[in-house]
Amino acid sequence: MGELLAELRAGLAIARKHVVTMTRYRVAMISMIFIPLYQGVIPAFLFGAAFAVGGRSLGLASSIGTDNLAGFIFLGGVVSGMIATAFWGMAMSLRNEQDAGTLEPSWLTPSTHETFVIGRAIGGSVLFLLTQIALFAIGMLFFGLRFDIGILRAIPAVLLALLSMVGVAYVLAALVLLLKEANFFIDATNYLFSIASGTAFPVTLLPGVFQPVALALPTTYAMDLLRHDAIGTRTLFDPVVEYVVLIALTAIAYPLGRWVFARADHVMRVRGTVAQY
Amino acid sequence: MSLLAADARAFVAAARKELRMWRRYPLFILGLLFWPIVLPATWVLMGQAYSGGGDARALAAFAERAGTTEFAGFVFVGYAMYMWLSNLLWGPGTALRQEQIRGSLEAVFLTPTSRLVALFAPPISHLPFSLLNFVTMGLTLWLVFGIVLPLGPVLEATVVIAIGIPSMYAIGSLFAASVLRFGETGPIVQLVRGTFVLACGITFPLVMLPGWAQAGAALLPPTYIVADIRTVLFRGVGLGGIAVDLVLLLAFAGLITLLAVWVFRILETSARRRGTLGSY
Repeated sequence: MGELLAELRAGLAIARKHVVTMTRYRVAMISMIFIPLYQGVIPAFLFGAAFAVGGRSLGLASSIGTDNLAGFIFLGGVVSGMIATAFWGMAMSLRNEQDAGTLEPSWLTPSTHETFVIGRAIGGSVLFLLTQIALFAIGMLFFGLRFDIGILRAIPAVLLALLSMVGVAYVLAALVLLLKEANFFIDATNYLFSIASGTAFPVTLLPGVFQPVALALPTTYAMDLLRHDAIGTRTLFDPVVEYVVLIALTAIAYPLGRWVFARADHVMRVRGTVAQY
Repeated sequence: MSLLAADARAFVAAARKELRMWRRYPLFILGLLFWPIVLPATWVLMGQAYSGGGDARALAAFAERAGTTEFAGFVFVGYAMYMWLSNLLWGPGTALRQEQIRGSLEAVFLTPTSRLVALFAPPISHLPFSLLNFVTMGLTLWLVFGIVLPLGPVLEATVVIAIGIPSMYAIGSLFAASVLRFGETGPIVQLVRGTFVLACGITFPLVMLPGWAQAGAALLPPTYIVADIRTVLFRGVGLGGIAVDLVLLLAFAGLITLLAVWVFRILETSARRRGTLGSY
């Protein structure tokens, strides 16, 4: 019990360090809001609005069951931001620690190595939450963003997806530490993971060969349930079935991620490559 | 005359050095093939969602604003400009700053060549990559989305690109000179590229912007390049119909080049006086 509390304290300290470090770079903090706006939200909104007939997105309504364009785009941003937090904030930040030469001293502390990923997950989630609040405020003020109160029903789906993404982050962290030069790998896989989860368009529009991949991702179901509860989109399957699959995938992703990370950790210690980059 | 020849040799050597450095990073080449396919393809699928899988009323509304119902081609042309800007700003746009970080800017400035060689040589290295992007995207449009562009308009679009090169080149040089002033170039690249993306009609028709933003867009060369390529490819208008735009592009190139030289001279003089050329 005492050990668990110590790990929890260490996790929270790592989270605080992560948040404090990030907030020291003010331009980078502003970029966390500005980049999703200019790269995703505004162009997507104006592109979607270009198809509107008499101010209504009839095409979108026929594709997903609602003409709430702003809601569709901003909610896509929620899951997309969650995925980016796992890829960049959790997995890639271990690589940054390696670059800075602080990974060895950190791993020599009595905390388990898994705690470093958990700490970053907590810190990344705090930053993710703050960013989403700012983006939603901008959406409501300038883009007519509105949700149904039912969005609250989707909170368990989002939390499950967050937990499953910690599992995915463990796998990614393992790969990043083994691969060394991982910028392109993280950038490309982050983008593909996000697209395959249906953040930009319904997964039913993906080419046939990619659809099984999309259906194997927990974030696909979280995205579907979130949009369904918040703006009334049609779901891929019955919501109960989607929850069951989401729980099952989370139950697989988390332990699998920890196992892969532990294996990579062992390999690195045997080869003595913890400090190499 | 021999001084000019020496500067020309230095220019070629500096451009070759940049290209050689790119060659050392094979993953960069992989990115050159990955992003030009995946990014616009995503937007085409978004277009399918927004148009309700090709609903006639939604497509008519788009055509009224964009001048064409061919939204896949519209997106691919826009993204060709996005990739061009990315190559330009991340590569040559930060070249002087990279020299500063590596500690080699002072050494370069101590050589007898004109300082303008250091300013204008790196941008040439982005041209092969940008041309490769155009080819990759044209092939993707054809092989993945089945849109075959007729040869005549493609040749006319090539002329538009060729006329647009000097102004894009000048933008790269102006940016490279300006960022010497800033410590962190990454966010500045994002900010400038973001402005171009939003103002120049990369992924949406310009008429979607408010009037003041459209007026601002008219001062940016990429706006004309993107609009003119779309006009010749998808609206059947010949080069004669966009002649005024092409003349404007050449005028922009001259103006921005002069501005780049002026900014570079001011910052260089200031840095030499303060002794901050090597500090970052």
